[in-house]
Amino acid sequence: MNTTTITYDDKTVRQFMIFSIIWGIVGMLVGVIAATQLSWWQMNGKFLEAITFGLFQGDGLQYITFGRLRPLHTNAVIFAFVGNMMFAGVYYSTQRLCKTRTASDLLSKIHMWGWQLIIVAAAITLPAGLTRGKEYAELIWPINIAVALIWVIFAVNFFWTLAKRNEPSLYVALWFYIATIVTVAMLYIVNHLSIPTSLIHSYPVFGGLQDALVQWWYGHNAVAFFLTTPILGIMYYYLPKAANRPVYSYRLSIVHFWSLVFIYIWAGPHHLLNTSLPRWLQMLGMLFSLMLWAPSWGGMLNGLLTLRGAWAKLRTDPVIKFFAAGVTFYGMATFEGPLLSIRAVNQLSHYTDWTIGHVHSGALGWNGFMAAGMFYWLAPRLWKTRLWSTSLANMHFWIGLVGILLYVAAMWTAGVLQGLMLGETNPDGTTLKYEFVETLKAIQVEYILRSFGGLLFLLGFILCAVNIWKTARSGQPHNDTVEVTVPETEKDEMPLGKTIFNDPVAYSLLGCVLLCLWFFLPPHADKAALIALVLLAVKGVHGFKRNGMKWNNWHERLLHNYLPFTILVAVAVIIGGAVQIIPSLLVNRDDNIEGRLQELYTPLELAGRDIYVSEGCYNCHSQMIRTLMPDVLRYGRAGHDDDFSHLGESIYDHPFQWGSKRTGPDLAREGGPLVEGSEHVRSGRRDNKWHWFHFRNPRWANQDSNMPPYPWLFEEKTDIKALPKKIAVQTQLGVPYEAMDKHEIEQAALDQATAISRTLFEGEAPVTYDGMPEATGEELVAEFSQRKIIALIAYMQKLGSYRVVEKDGPPEPTPLDPDSYRSLTGRSLEYRDGKTAASEAEAEPTN
Amino acid sequence: MSDSKDSNDSEIRRGDFARKKGEVVLREHEYDGIQEFDQKLPNWWLFTFYGAVVWFVGYWVLYYYTDNYRTDQERIVAKVTEVKERREEALAATLSSLSDQVLIEEWATDPNIVASGEATYSQICIACHGAELDAKMSGVPLPGRPLNDGEWTYGKAPMAIFKMINEGTPPGEPGYNGVPMVAKGGGSLGPKDVAELTAFIIAKNPQDFEGATFDESGALVVE
Repeated sequence: MNTTTITYDDKTVRQFMIFSIIWGIVGMLVGVIAATQLSWWQMNGKFLEAITFGLFQGDGLQYITFGRLRPLHTNAVIFAFVGNMMFAGVYYSTQRLCKTRTASDLLSKIHMWGWQLIIVAAAITLPAGLTRGKEYAELIWPINIAVALIWVIFAVNFFWTLAKRNEPSLYVALWFYIATIVTVAMLYIVNHLSIPTSLIHSYPVFGGLQDALVQWWYGHNAVAFFLTTPILGIMYYYLPKAANRPVYSYRLSIVHFWSLVFIYIWAGPHHLLNTSLPRWLQMLGMLFSLMLWAPSWGGMLNGLLTLRGAWAKLRTDPVIKFFAAGVTFYGMATFEGPLLSIRAVNQLSHYTDWTIGHVHSGALGWNGFMAAGMFYWLAPRLWKTRLWSTSLANMHFWIGLVGILLYVAAMWTAGVLQGLMLGETNPDGTTLKYEFVETLKAIQVEYILRSFGGLLFLLGFILCAVNIWKTARSGQPHNDTVEVTVPETEKDEMPLGKTIFNDPVAYSLLGCVLLCLWFFLPPHADKAALIALVLLAVKGVHGFKRNGMKWNNWHERLLHNYLPFTILVAVAVIIGGAVQIIPSLLVNRDDNIEGRLQELYTPLELAGRDIYVSEGCYNCHSQMIRTLMPDVLRYGRAGHDDDFSHLGESIYDHPFQWGSKRTGPDLAREGGPLVEGSEHVRSGRRDNKWHWFHFRNPRWANQDSNMPPYPWLFEEKTDIKALPKKIAVQTQLGVPYEAMDKHEIEQAALDQATAISRTLFEGEAPVTYDGMPEATGEELVAEFSQRKIIALIAYMQKLGSYRVVEKDGPPEPTPLDPDSYRSLTGRSLEYRDGKTAASEAEAEPTN
Repeated sequence: MSDSKDSNDSEIRRGDFARKKGEVVLREHEYDGIQEFDQKLPNWWLFTFYGAVVWFVGYWVLYYYTDNYRTDQERIVAKVTEVKERREEALAATLSSLSDQVLIEEWATDPNIVASGEATYSQICIACHGAELDAKMSGVPLPGRPLNDGEWTYGKAPMAIFKMINEGTPPGEPGYNGVPMVAKGGGSLGPKDVAELTAFIIAKNPQDFEGATFDESGALVVE
């Protein structure tokens, strides 16, 4: 037996851990500030005034409005706090599970420092309003490239370590790490595909509905593969270590791992239920989410039941406390997730704070507590000492727990209450009972409780930081050195053919093919595919019953071969996204829409839209009237029977701005037609002057509004010079702009801005501007036609404009569009044949 | 590793598969000291999983293969149409009970009606027409038309005011400063709310409606 001595690289682990704690505090602090801004819009200027002891005076800075802070908060918590925590956990456990030092110290170093640089870049660009306008994918394109590069470096370092391993078989934690690395790379790259218009701005290649679909495929699976699978891997390593008990069930590990990675990826469309997303995609999103419940709970069971026999430690060991609570929150969140994915529940919950409560039970309860447990377990080992204070860690636990419960309960109440109020009608059943702002006012107490809960969690986490700091100071940085046996068992020599041409894989792949045929084949052929699928499943179960040992041995061998294993994981995660996104790219195009097609933005309106995106308006305002009564009654226009948002209305929007939460009302019908006799001025739901005063001071329009004022939009100039390049990129992306040269574009923007300015500064009741009190109307027109506020008003007045596209008869059946076949069954067929209730009555024989 | 073996574990056998039912097997392999049991999957867990799969197939089959369900679009259009019909009925009922005379002499003199009209006004109208109906806020002009200047562009008769609020600026008219008012009926205001608003506006302009005379149908006679 050969043995060899190995010193693990624990320095990288220490660095990642320290940065995780630092960024964690920053991210949570930003979250608390942003939360209080929803209760007190003054928590910008007033906050600055307080922390500068009165030196700062004013309404506030543009850099810390809610619209810019929220992306900073989400990105910081996900990528900086959990990201660094995950890397710390992965680097520590992978070395030990592979019985080898990380392959390359240089790559570890580049990974560690590169990631911190990315975070710093994010912390500068997001408050500056540089954003792509897609949630958790806000970072601008140069940073996207850096993220992708660093991720690849992480992947190379990780897989290289696997290749050098002295432990032939892969432990379950490593399966989850592999799934994380492969899937996050895929998601990140696809959702960040963009064409730059400048060094700091780009348009995503997907638009409208397709951008929505890709975004939530990414957004949902960022939760799945950035916040869940790596933490499950960490749970599988650190929890049995801390509890000193065997993992509950190896079989459960296998079943829940493969089902989790396969099913999770399909669930993205549940973020778009009851929208203009085609029904079949909504069905897949909802039904796969329900199927996800059991695989998720498999992880919870394996965590909690591993603690059997170690529950006594719950009283004494803070690590076990945090792990037990963290896994429990995981179970709660993964039960709530499928619940919220049911279309009927989602009607109420979507666009409310219930969703915010849901993500925080995951982020604070699962991620935050698993992180704390892991830090408390690691710190004494990384600095070869004892934890500085167990009672401080216990205190952290209780403060944090109370914080989470307050937070989550407040958001549940707020979400349900607001959802119910928004849908409540007067007794006549034809008019709505509450104005939007009344529902916002009704949840103010919950908002305050939420901020308080978040603050408690932050305080607890600061205790953790102190404890870890003191622990580190009491010891010395320590790198474990161990003697390991170089294995004689063979590893990594399974030929690829053997991996794939095997019963389990063959059944699974054939099953997936039949599944797709069932979804997409025309009527009757699809039923045949379903029957074939059921038969295949029966045969598969039968085969497993007979040859279970063979299947088991195959999987055992697979675990000795990391590359084939990785390839199979990649196949499992590619299928779901491909089946949902590719058909949509082919089918849902502007030449195949029902009824309504978006009108193109003029250059000025496009500039205004970019300002809307840059200010992060989508963090509070949606642009999507769902096919639901509360939405259509509230936001639809009188005189239209079908005034929900149609698929074609936003098809040229790069990026889409459907939003995910409504702290303010929906804006999909804010725009309107051109004013008679004008080529430039539109008259939407509200007047230009209304918008002018409202952006100056939202309390002017409604005293209960919590929207911040936007004084800088009245001072800064619109970047007209950037428009030619922007429109060129839009054209490249398929937006059918007429050919315009640079001069025409700039002139068009200026003409429209001048016309809109005239409606403000001329006429019977001109507005004035306190920044230019002496200026004449003509001077104000000349000055303001350059400024951002006018571009933004132009966009507001255009928002949601479309032209009607007449189509004869019912839709044609389209390949890859299951809904188009459905519309040919039953009633629609009758409609096509011209058979209506009236014609039937006529056909009745009369005497 | 050996320290993990407390008294319970003496019954545990090692092996790589649970061969005998009910017997908990500890797998032979260890990873950095971590051991694994090979418990059978809990039945309730399996049935949750199978149940969700069956639900998937059943739901899809019911929706796509039977004619029992409408599409979301069909359903919402049907509902909106129904609401519209009910609104029209309610409007017809309200209109049949109203006249200029009724609005001026009964509604505008009833303090309860005027108060609820005022409540609606301060929710909805105030943003454009101002708290004092002068279309100003702290001296700053608001987008709306002043409602206290004795000018009734679209007719002074209360029923005309009602119609104006309910349906908005008549089609083709430019509106105030080129800005037409959007119809306020439907949405959050029923015909009764609109009538109360009308009463409130009348009550706020007594000089225009004092000593009004009416014809037999109750319509205002404009001198």
